[in-house]
Amino acid sequence: MKEFKIGMNAKLDMLKFKNLGEEREKEIEKSASTSVKDSSLTNTLAGILHPKGIKVQVSHIVKETEDTKSFYLKPVKLESMPPFLAGQYVTLAVTIDGRTYKRPYSISSSPNSLEMYRITVKKEKNGIVSTYLFHECEVGSTFNLLGPFGHFTYQPLRDSKDVVFLAGGSGITPFMAFLQNQKFLEKIHSLTLFYGAKSEFDLIFKKEIDEICSKNKKIKVIYVLSEQKRSDYAYGFIDEEKILQVGVENKSFFVSGPIKMYFSLNEIFKKLDIPNKFIRHEIFREVPEDLVEQNFQLTIKMNDKTLTIPCNGKETLLQSMEKGRVKTLAHCTVGECGFCRSKLLSGEVKTEDSCVREADKEAHYIHPCVTYPLSDVTIEVPIK
Amino acid sequence: MENKEYDVIVIGAGNAGLVSALTLQKKGKKVLLLEKGRVVGGLASSFIRGRFEFDTSLHQLCEFGTKEDSDAVYDLFSRLEIIDKVSVETLPEAFAVYTLDHKEKYVMPVGKDAFLLKMEEYVPGSTKSMEEFFSLCEETKDALSYLNESKGHPETEVLMEKYPRFMVVAPYSIEKVLKKIDMPLKAQEILCSYWSYLGSPASKLSFIHYASMVYSYITKGPVIFKKSSHAISLLLSEEFVKNGGTLKCLTGVKEILTQNNEVIGVVTDSNEKFLTRHILANLSPNVVYGQLIQNDFVPDKAKSLTNLRNFGARGVSVYLGLNKTMKELGLENSTYFVYHSLDSDREFKRMHDVFSGNLAATLKNTSPDTSSLVLTSLIFGDAFDKLVTKENYFEIKEKLAESLVSSFEKATGMNIHDAIEEIEVATPVTFARYTGHPEGVIYGYLATSHDNLLPRIMNEENEVFIKGLRFCGGFGSRLSGYSSTYINGEMEALKTLGEMENERV
Repeated sequence: MKEFKIGMNAKLDMLKFKNLGEEREKEIEKSASTSVKDSSLTNTLAGILHPKGIKVQVSHIVKETEDTKSFYLKPVKLESMPPFLAGQYVTLAVTIDGRTYKRPYSISSSPNSLEMYRITVKKEKNGIVSTYLFHECEVGSTFNLLGPFGHFTYQPLRDSKDVVFLAGGSGITPFMAFLQNQKFLEKIHSLTLFYGAKSEFDLIFKKEIDEICSKNKKIKVIYVLSEQKRSDYAYGFIDEEKILQVGVENKSFFVSGPIKMYFSLNEIFKKLDIPNKFIRHEIFREVPEDLVEQNFQLTIKMNDKTLTIPCNGKETLLQSMEKGRVKTLAHCTVGECGFCRSKLLSGEVKTEDSCVREADKEAHYIHPCVTYPLSDVTIEVPIK
Repeated sequence: MENKEYDVIVIGAGNAGLVSALTLQKKGKKVLLLEKGRVVGGLASSFIRGRFEFDTSLHQLCEFGTKEDSDAVYDLFSRLEIIDKVSVETLPEAFAVYTLDHKEKYVMPVGKDAFLLKMEEYVPGSTKSMEEFFSLCEETKDALSYLNESKGHPETEVLMEKYPRFMVVAPYSIEKVLKKIDMPLKAQEILCSYWSYLGSPASKLSFIHYASMVYSYITKGPVIFKKSSHAISLLLSEEFVKNGGTLKCLTGVKEILTQNNEVIGVVTDSNEKFLTRHILANLSPNVVYGQLIQNDFVPDKAKSLTNLRNFGARGVSVYLGLNKTMKELGLENSTYFVYHSLDSDREFKRMHDVFSGNLAATLKNTSPDTSSLVLTSLIFGDAFDKLVTKENYFEIKEKLAESLVSSFEKATGMNIHDAIEEIEVATPVTFARYTGHPEGVIYGYLATSHDNLLPRIMNEENEVFIKGLRFCGGFGSRLSGYSSTYINGEMEALKTLGEMENERV
């Protein structure tokens, strides 16, 4: 074989090969044995943006309408709340009678003011948490807050500069963060807000909205009342005719409101051939219609123990876990975020899996927050 | 009561952690695998936005091959008895590389002969040196397997006799060797397009490191997992549990306990104590020596080595769900590199800026009418740390996405903007959040001179500073990358096994 060499000659190259390790040794000897750096600003920032939980205190409460109240939450330990994007939500952990419930609420305050977050809660019929917040929660009450989370945000690369917000009832809350966000308003050309409610007395934040609109010519607001006729408001529901009046061509639609509204708007979007990319939904949970009231057993295998609690065909596994005083990992409670991801070990269930990974579906992973039992069920959750 | 003593504790369920845990469990050891996240896989994961499931980080996997012509990862998955459950797709071409400054475009096929022909077409007169390069690659591949088999104690005579050319080129950079074999400059540059996958410019990247990767990509073809990397991570973890292993997610390690410079156990973040004499750490030595072991108990040499090392690349990824197919977009390649120029030294320097515009991209159809495009840009040094604050973070994130999309559009001449249905952006902050790596580093330590592949492998046994504590994964001896970390997981598991056997003797 002919001699193959890189440097002076092949023998020196061989020596160089053998010395690779020794050279490394020499470098190590020269290096300081001071204590090792284990993080940087980037890690600190990750901690600020995504805290594991924030202890908050109610600093004041404002009654907005007959059945809605806003709660201003300030951090107990942190200097300020984490930065968030308009449209994002937080999950409030509320403990009532020893049971901890997690509920997502859109942040309705401005992303520019981080001294506190504002969430706005509508009292729901039979709503354990909303009733508690409405009647029991006082200034000074403390909670654990998770988040902020969520993708109901404006993305300049994807979304049109002409934006239409469609809000129904308390679905107005995420839009309040957008309306108060100067950076967002600078990015867009026009914004039309349709805001539907039963009557003028059910319009939350009307004064705030009118004030913002009066200062910014880009924004136009159309209030739509379904149970009250007034000459200065539109009447009925947010329907095709009203939407067509502002035009749909090349516009981004952001929808936040009751489920019925999603369904009726989706029909309209389909009919008008609006591409998926221009339709954004706030998170929501569709409750299946064919649920049957029947009692079953839910067995939960955790890292170190196993628990069995009652569950019911009309309630999600998460609801049963909350009732049964089991610690849960839930954040969004509507099947989207995946935090409560659990493995179904046995039993039949009815579940929603559009946000479950392909491989997870095959391996029988479910999101308990959108899963209803059809038999006794055993799940495995990575909690202690 | 649970018996809290284990033969081995693996910290971190990344690629290497998963493979090492499964390997040891299958060898009959009692293994505890601790993962601080909710889901196994580390960077080998996936997430959903709208109707798209995105792979978190995989561009393509190398060292795979096929049943008939298998490569290292295929063989490893066979040994782990999971190969039948792994479905992959082999990509049709190696890569398409574009330059922004000179509007060049080179599309390189898979297969040695096709690659040589194409290179000859782009760079007439390159064939002879390309052939020599491939022959060096083959010898390198064989020599490396010998080095692995010899477990850090190769016999010089064997090396000199069987792999003489390997011994000669091994200490040098890919650039130096390609020059030496008289490869025309343009051919060198095209061949080195993959440099950013290893995160070091051609002048710093060791020949054998680069050559082994390129050789595998070109001869076996790059593959992607059909379902997602998450599917593989999940499969590995489920097999581990099926074989009797104990997996605890949402369980971080707070402290590694040592006594007389030997591992004795770990304490988890919920203050549980587990005893063991063997730990495989699938995380950075910086975190292990800087956070998990009390400073007084960390040997000086461990600190010196860790302080000596530089971090490799941080990354920004833009995940795009597109409402058009590849054909409708006018794009036919799966793998793209976009650089300002093909001079990797210059580009490496440029990438110390956050907005370099250089990127690697993977594109695939995801349904009859959609496709997904993932753009990844590397950042070297501390530029990101210096730029970002909590006040400007979201704005910077938007700007980064904008800069990568427009750079890709500029290079390919195709419109992406209008097809974007879903978008997500991951920055070093995102990677820091999920991995806990210092600075959100995704490439482990920088592959350069004394910290290149060979010096790491050659010195590995001298660098077990605390008895029973080994590292695996992207910060380990095989460096970062999907195939490297899988392979390294098994290597380290076998070394741990060897230590256990020695103890028994």
